[in-house]
Amino acid sequence: MNLRWKYLIKRTGQMLLTLWIIATILFFIFRLMPGNPLVAYIDPTFTEEQQEILMKQFGLDKSLWMQYIIYIKNLFQGELGQSFFFKDSVINVISKVLPNTIYLMLTALIIAYTAGIVGGIFLAWKRGEMIESVGIVFTLFTRAAPQFWVGMILLAIFSFQFDIFPSGGVSQAGTVYSSELDKLLSFQFYRHLFLPALTLSIYLLGLPLLLMRSNMLDVMDESYVEMAKIRGVSKIRVLVKYAARNAFLPVITAMAVGIGYAMGGNVVIETVFSWPGLGRLLVKAVSTSDYPLAQGAFILIAGVMVFMNFVADILYSLLDPRVNIDSKR
Amino acid sequence: MSRKISVVLSIIMVFTFIVTLTNETGFGAESDRLVEVSLITRPKASSPDEFETITILAEEMRKVGIDAKVDVMPWEQMADVVWYDRESWDITGWQMTARPERLDPDEFTYNLFHSSTAETGYNFIGYINNEYDEVAEKQRVTVDKEERRKLIYKSQEIIAEDVAYIFSVNPMVNIVYNNQVFAESSIKEMAGLGIKNFWTYLYAEPISDQKDLVLNSNDTVQAVNPLYISGSVDSWITELVWDRLMRMGQDGLPKPWAAKSVDWIDKTTIRVVLRDDLRFHDGEKVTVEDVKFSFEVPKTGEAPMYKPFVDIIDVINIEDDQTLVFKLKKPWAAFETASLAKINIIPKHVWEPVIEDLKDKPENAESYQEEVPVGSGPFKFSNWKFSEEVVLSANEDYFQPPKVDKWIVRFVENMEATFGMIQNGEINFLATYLGDNQLLQQRVKEDEKLTMVSSIDLGFRFLAPNHRIRPFSDKAFRKAVAALNDRELIAALVWKGFAVPSDGVISPALEYWDNPNVNYPEAGLQNARKILEEAGYEWDEEGRLLYPDA
Repeated sequence: MNLRWKYLIKRTGQMLLTLWIIATILFFIFRLMPGNPLVAYIDPTFTEEQQEILMKQFGLDKSLWMQYIIYIKNLFQGELGQSFFFKDSVINVISKVLPNTIYLMLTALIIAYTAGIVGGIFLAWKRGEMIESVGIVFTLFTRAAPQFWVGMILLAIFSFQFDIFPSGGVSQAGTVYSSELDKLLSFQFYRHLFLPALTLSIYLLGLPLLLMRSNMLDVMDESYVEMAKIRGVSKIRVLVKYAARNAFLPVITAMAVGIGYAMGGNVVIETVFSWPGLGRLLVKAVSTSDYPLAQGAFILIAGVMVFMNFVADILYSLLDPRVNIDSKR
Repeated sequence: MSRKISVVLSIIMVFTFIVTLTNETGFGAESDRLVEVSLITRPKASSPDEFETITILAEEMRKVGIDAKVDVMPWEQMADVVWYDRESWDITGWQMTARPERLDPDEFTYNLFHSSTAETGYNFIGYINNEYDEVAEKQRVTVDKEERRKLIYKSQEIIAEDVAYIFSVNPMVNIVYNNQVFAESSIKEMAGLGIKNFWTYLYAEPISDQKDLVLNSNDTVQAVNPLYISGSVDSWITELVWDRLMRMGQDGLPKPWAAKSVDWIDKTTIRVVLRDDLRFHDGEKVTVEDVKFSFEVPKTGEAPMYKPFVDIIDVINIEDDQTLVFKLKKPWAAFETASLAKINIIPKHVWEPVIEDLKDKPENAESYQEEVPVGSGPFKFSNWKFSEEVVLSANEDYFQPPKVDKWIVRFVENMEATFGMIQNGEINFLATYLGDNQLLQQRVKEDEKLTMVSSIDLGFRFLAPNHRIRPFSDKAFRKAVAALNDRELIAALVWKGFAVPSDGVISPALEYWDNPNVNYPEAGLQNARKILEEAGYEWDEEGRLLYPDA
């Protein structure tokens, strides 16, 4: 069998194993949390008979192991169960908010990676100058600043002080969109998207910027770049055509991993900006002991993370032939 | 000689060690008498007022020598312990929240303290008093209002005398609205619920270009379903979309609404005449058949949460096109509030096939979500953007149409942002604010377009002592702890003045039912010491409180 295929099968196996471990941990972690989910959903004034009916509905009348077996079986069939809180299937509930999370995530990633790559090239170009030091300190600051803090500062300035952008939601009160496309074509939507996307991109900016800068510095020491300089190629051309193109590759693979991280990062930002997405749903599910919904949301986030890691690995091996995919060689 | 000395010294050392050990770990007779109390509270982050009240009380208890320990646990764990392990705890912070059906005193009077609910129901403190049981039962079946008031007064006296709860405060409901959007006179205050109520939503009169009432909620909507009691924000919606035979008036007493009249023929028979100008939002007329169906569905088991409100009904007879007669199994004084003003009138033509279909399925009507919910109330369902907002539009054909065009609730979890939202006009009615009320008041004063209305809440905060085990099984001890829990101080310090001291389960907002003259222990350290002394409690040399010597 072709070596690349073997690698692909091995990585797929590892990915599935990781997902199974995550699913198992998620199952037990929620059930071992202090407190009884019944308290949240079953009014104590109900008769015992009524309480039993509800327990049956939630599947909580079965043993823990039986619940686990049913859960894994359903998971294989793509069935994430029924949300206790919303009394609807987890897939339905998640599908209502997932598009909003994707819009926010993709916008923020595009802004962060575009600005990061340009910024990285710029800082590498200004190597040793004052502006490089300032740029690095600023980047580290954006990376270290808590997202809720950045979000609140942006809200205070752009929303409450100058009233330029709305403070939350994806649309103005009472707006009705005829379709998802209608929403995406509306100016209001982008006004609402601006602040949360900016907050998330400030958080995401550090990785591509610093990665690009350090790759650029490595590449600029390479002999072919030196040769280009000796040949009298202009500095901009050396930077863009010779150095940046080669320094670009690790940033693209990092972006794949970044998608996974961006999904997780949305929890705080979605709450600060009342953005109706997966992160906010996750907070709600955990705070109301809605096991199936919390599990579903976590599995989705973990699944995206693991899958994007897998994509990054595969991309890397495909795009850069120098990457050794056979550990024995 | 030296061997003898070492033997003697060893004996002395062993003896000293045993004495020390017994004193430390409580093996001695005196240690058995030490009064130890564990106070349960939710964490400061989730319930700062409860946490601070408990911390202050624990400190006061230590001042009279009680070994008081504060146990902090999240709500789920706390509720699990308190509800399902009723012998295992001493005292816990607790609260009763305002709900429209609680405007009638029955639920608090009967469910919280009647011995029949002590094992698995709301009487989780295990309060048993036969005299009280009799009064609580009697008020339930006394349909004469004045007679019933006397019984409700009596029940409050017994609860205060027995110190069944250690009362703290009735908080204030603080709601802010934009006075440049709505006429001040059109904002209605309702007893125990503040200005966030049905009457405000119905009468709020826009005086600017903004014709919509936009309010916030920190919680999302679970379901818009007339047969499912879910979150509080869900109930704001159901009471506007679906009509009820009676509505709770601004004074907290039930008034005929979708019913033209409600007359008690005798203690178990009620004649209801339905208005003849009611229509469902799909254009169909509201009939007595629909009303009968609405009260019978919960009995089928398909809407278990509403079952307790209709269980009392024996039979409903239709007399003519507009008249129904409810026959009850036994008299129930709270029937108007807890049933006629609670059950949503649903269209039979929509729900009958749904209920039929659900009969053979494991799920019930609570899981059913209509695509466009159809009611006959003052607002029509318009749109629900999941996790973002619910929009209702004014029902212009209603016999008393709302003055606003739309009623919009926005789901905002970031409480710090909500005040900014009302300032910049994103919302015009701050219905939920969980932040610092003092700060809110100050910021409202600085912004002349905003008005804050503070009203006494129907709900109350208290400490629930476990009557099953000592020390709280002893009335004198409960009295002493009540004296240590300085309610004035809690209202001023913990609630920063946004609460009033409470001495009973009936809120002072319900003037008709609240007994202002109950005999509740006076606050003060000296008073607490005196009560304990008189009950035979003693103190050891270190000032630790000891149980009375058996």
